[in-house]
Amino acid sequence: MKIKLNGENHNHSGNGSIKSLLDELKLNKDHAAVMLNGKIVPQENWKTQMINENDEVEVLVFVGGG
Amino acid sequence: MINSLPDWLDPYKWMHLTESSDLNAIEAAIYSKNPTIRELALLLSPSAKTFIEPMAQRAKYLTQRYFGKTISLYSPLYLSNYCNGGCVYCGIAADRRADRLVLNNKQLSKEIEELSASGIDEIVLLTGERMPEADVDYLENAIKLSSKKISSINIEVFPMLENEYRILANAGCTGVTLYQETYDPIVYEKMHRWGDKRDFYNRLHAPERALKGGLRTIGLGALLGLANPVFDMLCLYNHANYILKNFWQSGISISFPRIKPQLGEFRANFPVNELMLSQYIFALRICLPTVPLLLSTRESATIRDGLAGLGISKMSVASKTTVGGYSSNIEKSTEQFEISDNRDIKMFCNALRRKNLEAVFKNYDSIYREPVLYEKKSKK
Amino acid sequence: MSDILSFDDISFKSRLLVGTGKFSSIKTMISSIKASKTELVTVALKRFNKAKTEDDLYGPLLELENITLMPNTSGAMNAKEAIRAALLGRELSKSRFVKLEIHPNPHHLLPDPIETYEAAVELAKQDFLVLPYIPADPVLAKRLEDIGCAAVMPLGAPIGSGQGLTTKEMIQIIIKESNIPVIVDAGIRSPSEAAQSMEMGCEAVLINSAIAAAENPTKMADAFQQSVKAGRLAFKAGLMPSTETAIASSPLTSFLSSYD
Repeated sequence: MKIKLNGENHNHSGNGSIKSLLDELKLNKDHAAVMLNGKIVPQENWKTQMINENDEVEVLVFVGGG
Repeated sequence: MINSLPDWLDPYKWMHLTESSDLNAIEAAIYSKNPTIRELALLLSPSAKTFIEPMAQRAKYLTQRYFGKTISLYSPLYLSNYCNGGCVYCGIAADRRADRLVLNNKQLSKEIEELSASGIDEIVLLTGERMPEADVDYLENAIKLSSKKISSINIEVFPMLENEYRILANAGCTGVTLYQETYDPIVYEKMHRWGDKRDFYNRLHAPERALKGGLRTIGLGALLGLANPVFDMLCLYNHANYILKNFWQSGISISFPRIKPQLGEFRANFPVNELMLSQYIFALRICLPTVPLLLSTRESATIRDGLAGLGISKMSVASKTTVGGYSSNIEKSTEQFEISDNRDIKMFCNALRRKNLEAVFKNYDSIYREPVLYEKKSKK
Repeated sequence: MSDILSFDDISFKSRLLVGTGKFSSIKTMISSIKASKTELVTVALKRFNKAKTEDDLYGPLLELENITLMPNTSGAMNAKEAIRAALLGRELSKSRFVKLEIHPNPHHLLPDPIETYEAAVELAKQDFLVLPYIPADPVLAKRLEDIGCAAVMPLGAPIGSGQGLTTKEMIQIIIKESNIPVIVDAGIRSPSEAAQSMEMGCEAVLINSAIAAAENPTKMADAFQQSVKAGRLAFKAGLMPSTETAIASSPLTSFLSSYD
């Protein structure tokens, strides 16, 4: 399905859960924070929370900062 | 000595420095950039008397820096000398023969008129211990009445509860003066023979209740002569810092009431003479440079003129310590202490002017003021 | 008797906090962190970039022992954004710490006191240990303490400027009045400046650019670790008093001569 991922168009080909999206991105399970349509999705809900067509997803990781 | 004082107050760690004869250390303390209780202890030692002149110079420099060349003036107004207390050192204790009087509205208005007409714009309202004749609602009324003509009203009465202080703050009261008398619990107990005043800790924590209740300033002090004055001065310093640390938006001042050795029936166990008084004032000015220091008309004209501007930044003037003392036709009542400086306002201001000091009558207006609100701290 | 830096029930032996930005490589960053012996490290949040997975610090940082992560809110321009960043950061770090930083001007990166205060109020309510990055303003510091911040972090100079403790006098006032730890953050360039901050009474310092942009970051991190320890030791030992010079004028105490 077509979604917006980190501000860009992305074609998701998994089963529609947050977890499968992260697997698709080859992100290790603990390494991200996820927002779906502006709301934070806690880790424990990643397997069950589904994404729909045209949803906006933000996936954030830690980088260097002062 | 029983160490029953709270940690923030107890100066026992520094008492040994108050016996110091290390003249170099004492001299360095005078010019310290960031004086602490350590410097205060050194400056209170008898050996520091050798440096009384440089201490005076430093005190004058600091007073000018933070207060300019001004002296704030105020007058005391005794509302009532009814008292059920048992303070050994006080002329109007319950067991002393005294003419008792409490001002009614008409009399109070007359007193305020007289004071206001003379130029006074800051007063301290005084009573004895909590009495039915002059309790919180009486004070509330007196404050409301006085604030019609006087810009800054303070009270020097009995310790009360936070919500009672709030009532008075809402009525227009700016500040509370409450002397601990002495911070030595053993002496304190001996001096206060009966009644509410025997509760040392209740009195100690009252200034905090006043500030939480919305009052803007508190005045501290110890009655010099009751106990070891150096101990009391160190405690006073700690008390002041404790308030400053916990109530960062509030004002604090320090007074120096003194049992004068030569007068009165009560003899001080630890007499403090004029030289010692001056030394303590200079020491506190050096170690608490931004805190107003007060001297009353209990002291002689010579001492007052000498100390004005040398640490002292605020003074009472033309005081009457009898109830109804400012109006001419109110019946006689017994005074709380004897006044030594009887000069009227004009004479006193001239004396200040000769010392290049300007008298300030009004520092503050209550017209745009609200009681101070301290945010409730979130859980820590 | 140990000298511990603590926030609520969390304590640290090290008083050197280290930022992870501006390093030339993750390898250098990791070895610097190890050399610094720090126990609290700041990180930033960014969108995952599938083309640059080497950016991701999480893995390398997790391998370090004894490290608590403190996400910062850099990039946020206002309180709302900072709060969202803090919540996201907490998701990742699982720690209560947040370095609250809101700097709307990208040229000097100086903190916005108004947005910072508003964000701090909300984050403190949500049980964060808020460490706000602020201008060296003593009244702002007390206001933030009042609403429940765990510490205050006044700047010594603008981020990355390396100008040292330009706000020294203000920081001294903040330290004097504060009941919570004061941590100098930003502007420190040399280990001696870090020592000086500790001698003044700071509870800790936060160093980033001074280590990351040094010629040898790992060695510099070690130097900072030593200087922070020395400064703290000096503070606890009690520096000798410093004095001002006397200014003489005509005698003032002749009025006392009749009394003694």
